[in-house]
Amino acid sequence: MRQEWLARILVILLLAVAVSIPVVGWWQRSQGVVLHARMAETGGWTPENLTVQVGEPLHLRLTSDDVTHSFAIGQSDQPAVDVIPGEITEITLLFDRPGKYTFYCTRQCSLNHWRMRGTIEVTGSSTTTETIKLPLYVTLGLDIDAEHHADVIPAQKPSALRGALLNQSVPAIYLSREYYLAHTPLELWKALRGEPAFQPLTGQDVWDLVAWVWQSNTAPQELQVGQQLYSTNCAACHGEGGAGDGIFAYSALTPISLPSGEGQGVRVPPVNFTDPSHMLSASPAHLQGKIIRGGMGTGMPYWGPIFTEDQTWALVAYLWSFQFELEKKP
Amino acid sequence: MNPLQEITWLDKATINETQGSLHTARRVSGRLNLYRIPWLRPVFESRWPQFLVRLLALVGFVFAIVAGLFGSVIGSHNFAIIFVWIAWWSAFKLVFIPFGGRAWCSICPITLPGDWLQQGGILSKGHGLGLNLRWPKRLKGSWLQSSAFLLIGLFSALTLTDPRLTGWVFVALFGLAIGLSLVFEHRAFCSYICPIGGFSGIYAQTAPVELRVIDIEICAKHSDKSCYHACPWGLYPVAFRDNAACGLCLECLRACPRDNLALSLRPFGTDIGKPRTANRLDEAFLALVMLGSALVFAAVFVGPWGWLKSAAFAVGSLQWMAYSASFLSLNLLILPGLFALAVWLGQRTSRVKLPLKREVANQSQALLPLGLMAWIAFTVSFAFPKLGYILGVLNDPFGWGWKLLGAGYTFWSPDVSGFSPVLQVILLLIGLFLSANVTRRLAGSDFRRTVPILAFCLAFSLGMFWLLVG
Amino acid sequence: MRWLRWAVFVGLMLVVWFTPIPAAATTPTERSFRINASRFEYSPAILAVNPGDKVTIELISTDVVHGLAIDGYNLAATVDPGQTARLTFVADRQGSFRFRCTVTCGNLHPFMIGKLNVGQNTLLWRAVALSGWVLVGGAWVLKK
Repeated sequence: MRQEWLARILVILLLAVAVSIPVVGWWQRSQGVVLHARMAETGGWTPENLTVQVGEPLHLRLTSDDVTHSFAIGQSDQPAVDVIPGEITEITLLFDRPGKYTFYCTRQCSLNHWRMRGTIEVTGSSTTTETIKLPLYVTLGLDIDAEHHADVIPAQKPSALRGALLNQSVPAIYLSREYYLAHTPLELWKALRGEPAFQPLTGQDVWDLVAWVWQSNTAPQELQVGQQLYSTNCAACHGEGGAGDGIFAYSALTPISLPSGEGQGVRVPPVNFTDPSHMLSASPAHLQGKIIRGGMGTGMPYWGPIFTEDQTWALVAYLWSFQFELEKKP
Repeated sequence: MNPLQEITWLDKATINETQGSLHTARRVSGRLNLYRIPWLRPVFESRWPQFLVRLLALVGFVFAIVAGLFGSVIGSHNFAIIFVWIAWWSAFKLVFIPFGGRAWCSICPITLPGDWLQQGGILSKGHGLGLNLRWPKRLKGSWLQSSAFLLIGLFSALTLTDPRLTGWVFVALFGLAIGLSLVFEHRAFCSYICPIGGFSGIYAQTAPVELRVIDIEICAKHSDKSCYHACPWGLYPVAFRDNAACGLCLECLRACPRDNLALSLRPFGTDIGKPRTANRLDEAFLALVMLGSALVFAAVFVGPWGWLKSAAFAVGSLQWMAYSASFLSLNLLILPGLFALAVWLGQRTSRVKLPLKREVANQSQALLPLGLMAWIAFTVSFAFPKLGYILGVLNDPFGWGWKLLGAGYTFWSPDVSGFSPVLQVILLLIGLFLSANVTRRLAGSDFRRTVPILAFCLAFSLGMFWLLVG
Repeated sequence: MRWLRWAVFVGLMLVVWFTPIPAAATTPTERSFRINASRFEYSPAILAVNPGDKVTIELISTDVVHGLAIDGYNLAATVDPGQTARLTFVADRQGSFRFRCTVTCGNLHPFMIGKLNVGQNTLLWRAVALSGWVLVGGAWVLKK
């Protein structure tokens, strides 16, 4: 009979151990912040909103419940970390300025990958006042939704190198960064075409000059950064070759319905950056505006909270490489 | 009346045959009786070793349920999926069945709480709970087990990959087993419902262990039949002719006052190859379901056809219904039909004609080595590349970032491409060889009868070759 | 005499197993494949090349991050949607090799499989030949 009781005690004991291990683990887990990543269609980030004090470390334990994601903070130096299904990635964040930060996923995880964003509210008193800087297209009063075509387009792709070899001296006003940001290549072409010094040049030559002016406003490192950003964020819809034929391009044509009701918008294919009529009649400020603000009901995401201003200009610089032969090496 | 005739049921043979054959064939000649080995005997005689192993299995099972229901939803990082479908299922097919027959049943945790409740104690019998009803005669045999296995096949793509579903399936099995123990007598779940029991029972006949009486004369003079009263499965060990029903719980071994029962080692495949007179069509059907399932599992899990996998996975969709229809027609119509045709054609060449049903049941023994080796080969293909996950889930059973085995452990996939296909070919060839052998032995001198059946075995083997290494 | 029969039986099996099968003489060429990876299949899933060919696989993904690793060739690549991953290797090992996804992409990820056939699948032919022989052996030559 003693053996029977010993056996019963053993059963209860071992079963209790088997059950208590996960219970303890569960309790321990809920002591920290566990951030679950899912595709946007099935929930996105959980929790979506975090709060922390200025100067207080935020320990996050990231895991994915379906496919590979990654975690990055918009407009910050924090490098992106991969969030892997079934595994835990631990990071600690420290914010020195209050404000609303956006965290997002940087690895294409679904058609609505770009919607996978959350916010970290950093509270605390700020000693410096921040001035909000308006985007350039607002300052210039550009209507970035208006239709635009180029009535003159080059016969072949303009080359910055050929433009440099022409060895012409372009008036200083056209070389300034302000001019570059606010004017379209077509406007520059027409202006140069009107200059008496350039009358002997052919139309194609003038386009090469335009390309050279554009090149002079771009650093090769900028192009590399831009290419990296494009490859990670834009190529999925706009295509590796910029022709608007990416993997998810078709999805931009089909209406998507999310729980929030977003997405019931216009069916528009992604912009074709290799189309000269479209691109040559757009200024860098125009492109930057589109990138920051997004597509107003089309599938184009808004990248304002994500890219820093420098990153946005780098991306714009890269987009011109679909129209001009730009030197990528110093 | 002969004491044996007082037992009103004998599943495996008629009374006449029992009296005749038992008198002649039951000496344990030349076979090593493990129960008589001095240092091994206490391990079997005491209930504690078996109880402890079985308890561990129960703890593992409960842990797997908790992991399945509360752990990571990523299957490859969840203890429930990896430990059950990779580790245990592989061990089951590679070790337990080929070397132990129905040995898993002796340590299976699924009915453990039910058994305890039924017998009213863990190590000793007390006041048991339960209605102890008789299992309905119509539901006897392995028909339900075959059906359960077909159900597994229909939902396998989903169950094998979804930890939550796996957890719930285990809970359901647990509840069913305990419930049946409280309603019916003996191990009704194990004998008639559990597909694992069906799988191991049918292939146990090829295994190198057996539990049989030593000297039938002693049993004939023994009026108490303590072995029968001790058996929790409700079986009569004296009448065992093959391994299919016995769950190796060893209670009869312990209960026999004359130490007349033996747990012996024997050559592989001893139970098959003898002409049978009992009509067990359900066993034939189960053998065929095993073959059909092996083919489908190989196609779905290790084949390159993504559309097939997606169809098997999307339960409830139109593609899944097409998959289910094909799966069921293969197992219910095509394979049984082809086998029956092969048997019938063979009969036409022979003068001796038994009823087709009996002949099919008899000849189906030949399918056993084929099926067992096919499942083992499939396991090599399916599980070997994933063995690295076993240590991974021991390190972090719930996918919660634990490091029980130490930090820095990463999931790895062993490169088995060098030997794995060769091993699979060898296993399938062994199965084909043994099946051909059994077919020949069953036919005796009448070898023309074997040709259509050999053709069936060959066709199945070629199918498996193409799916696994083609 | 039984041992003699067994010796002959096994001997012939070994002969069939180890006989070198002359490969059809093909000049190694450069082959290129563009594989679409999606949940949970590769398209195309079955590739056929000749031994010695220089194979380039361009891997693209149409939904999530996928990977590709070829059994027995120690090669792996990962690809994000919108990008192209390239694997270049010389197909020096003959036979049939499965390639699998290396990045967890969903429930059926462990079964996301394709096949690379390099030359003839000699293992399969030997297996077929041996099946016939084993059948004969089991049923006639070596019956008890």
